[in-house]
Amino acid sequence: MAILTIRNLHKKFKNNVVLDGIDLDVEKGDIIGIVGPSGTGKSTLLRSINLLEKPEEGEIEVGDTKVSLPLKHGSKKSVTELRRHTGMVFQRFCLFEHKTALENVMEGLITVQGKNKKEAEELALKEIENVGLLEWKNHYPRHMSGGQQQRVAIARTLAMKPDIIFLDEPTSALDPELVSEVLNIIKKVAEQGYTMLLVSHEMDFIRKISTRVIFLDGGKIIEDDTPVEVFEHPRTQRARDFFHKMQILREPDYYL
Amino acid sequence: MLASFSDYFSFKIVWSRMPDLIKKIPITLELAGLAFVVSLFVGLLIAVARYKKIKVLDPLATAFLSIVRGTPMLIQLYVAYYGIPAILRIFNSWGADINVNLIPKIVYAFISLGLYQSAFTSETIRAALESVDNGEIEAAYAMGMTYGQILKRIIIPEALENALPGIDNSIIGLVKGTSLASTCGIIEITYQNQILAGRDYRYLEGYVALAIIYWVITVILERVFKAVEKRTKIPESPAEISGKNSSGLKEKTSFISKVRQRHGYFDHKELA
Ligand SMILES: Nc1ncnc2c1ncn2[C@@H]1O[C@H](COP(=O)(O)OP(=O)(O)O)[C@@H](O)[C@H]1O
Ligand SMILES: [Mg+2]
Repeated sequence: MAILTIRNLHKKFKNNVVLDGIDLDVEKGDIIGIVGPSGTGKSTLLRSINLLEKPEEGEIEVGDTKVSLPLKHGSKKSVTELRRHTGMVFQRFCLFEHKTALENVMEGLITVQGKNKKEAEELALKEIENVGLLEWKNHYPRHMSGGQQQRVAIARTLAMKPDIIFLDEPTSALDPELVSEVLNIIKKVAEQGYTMLLVSHEMDFIRKISTRVIFLDGGKIIEDDTPVEVFEHPRTQRARDFFHKMQILREPDYYL
Repeated sequence: MLASFSDYFSFKIVWSRMPDLIKKIPITLELAGLAFVVSLFVGLLIAVARYKKIKVLDPLATAFLSIVRGTPMLIQLYVAYYGIPAILRIFNSWGADINVNLIPKIVYAFISLGLYQSAFTSETIRAALESVDNGEIEAAYAMGMTYGQILKRIIIPEALENALPGIDNSIIGLVKGTSLASTCGIIEITYQNQILAGRDYRYLEGYVALAIIYWVITVILERVFKAVEKRTKIPESPAEISGKNSSGLKEKTSFISKVRQRHGYFDHKELA
């Protein structure tokens, strides 16, 4: 069953063509790792799917909600509807600063899903427990480590029970020793059957967790296969070069 | 014989002046309160016009700010005092039916004071709105919230906390600013003092008494605002929220990661 269908998606910033006709079908339970060089449009792809960016052309379908581009007057409703079925985890956590961890997770349940406070709190507590932060529920983001904030952000997304979750470099803003606690949670979430699009530079993690890897370059998907195929037998020179560079960049990790 | 100190200054007279001045405090506060409402309303309009860069309103607001800040308050007060009736009379000549003489003087004063203060309050509000992290707004959109919901649940509550100290200052500024309204013939405490001093020529004592009253009002207001701010502010340390939480320590950032970040190599962020 297709959860997300993207057809012919185009997005440019001024003259900078970032997405040049992307087609993508995502099935329920897919964990899709998105890799590619910096500035190649990985974030723009995720942000275009939930329309935080406004693509000029193409179609996006999530469940029963279809959005055709460019957006017209009156398509606001379907945009909101589409967003309700998707969740997003940002590189910089983006928690609501004036709300506690618990309130952060409750917010969407109350405002978007119209649940009452008690119901929202019960659901939120479950998700906070899921990310192992029950003791921290009354803390404000500013009093938490980056790793903890990102776990709250994941709980906030899961609480909405989205059909698909987009994660945009969820560990890139973290100190290295906090990376694993977040990756462990993502792994756990993947095992709970969620569908995900994951942009990350943690190649080992992508290789382990993904059911499918796509390589984005020059505004197009140039590799799209199982992790083993993409990482070990990349078809394109660009992907080969990139993986080669990543290995070199990663090496010092082993010596530290 | 040497003149005694009390020939020049008498605390007794300062003291005896108080009751008659205190009687007029309500007028001072009323004026400040009404002006505050005007300043908040207009300030919010200007702030939103500039924050959202609304077409015609944004440049208009910018011009207004420039004029209000570039002219003395006293002159603005006079312009309002003579200008508002003139405008109303023009309306009347077009067929409106407003009895200009029935409008109390305090109206001109609080409108003028309010507009003056709005030029500063608007910047406080705008800065507070802009301080709300764009990432949070995007996160809220990504959840499916509408702009109205985001405004109500995220932007305004967060901006309010940031704006509160500035708004408090503007109230205090307004209370002090009301003394200028005496020039429009409103008998608030400053004018009252002039009337009283005109009888016995004890101007110095009168003004000292007046200074004490303004000062006491200001100190009381500051206290109140501090208490309010403390209640709305997010605590500085996590211990203030849940003292019993034993794991209240932040995870430490390792020395190595700090060094690596500082020198910027081999860091994940480099690839972002
Ligand atoms: N808001 C924006 N305005 C203008 N250019 C942008 C904006 N966001 C991204 N870009 C450009 O789009 C390209 C892709 O960026 P991005 O999607 O962030 O890449 P990635 O996530 O793969 O590193 C880059 O060239 C970037 O400079
Ligand atoms: Mg990116």
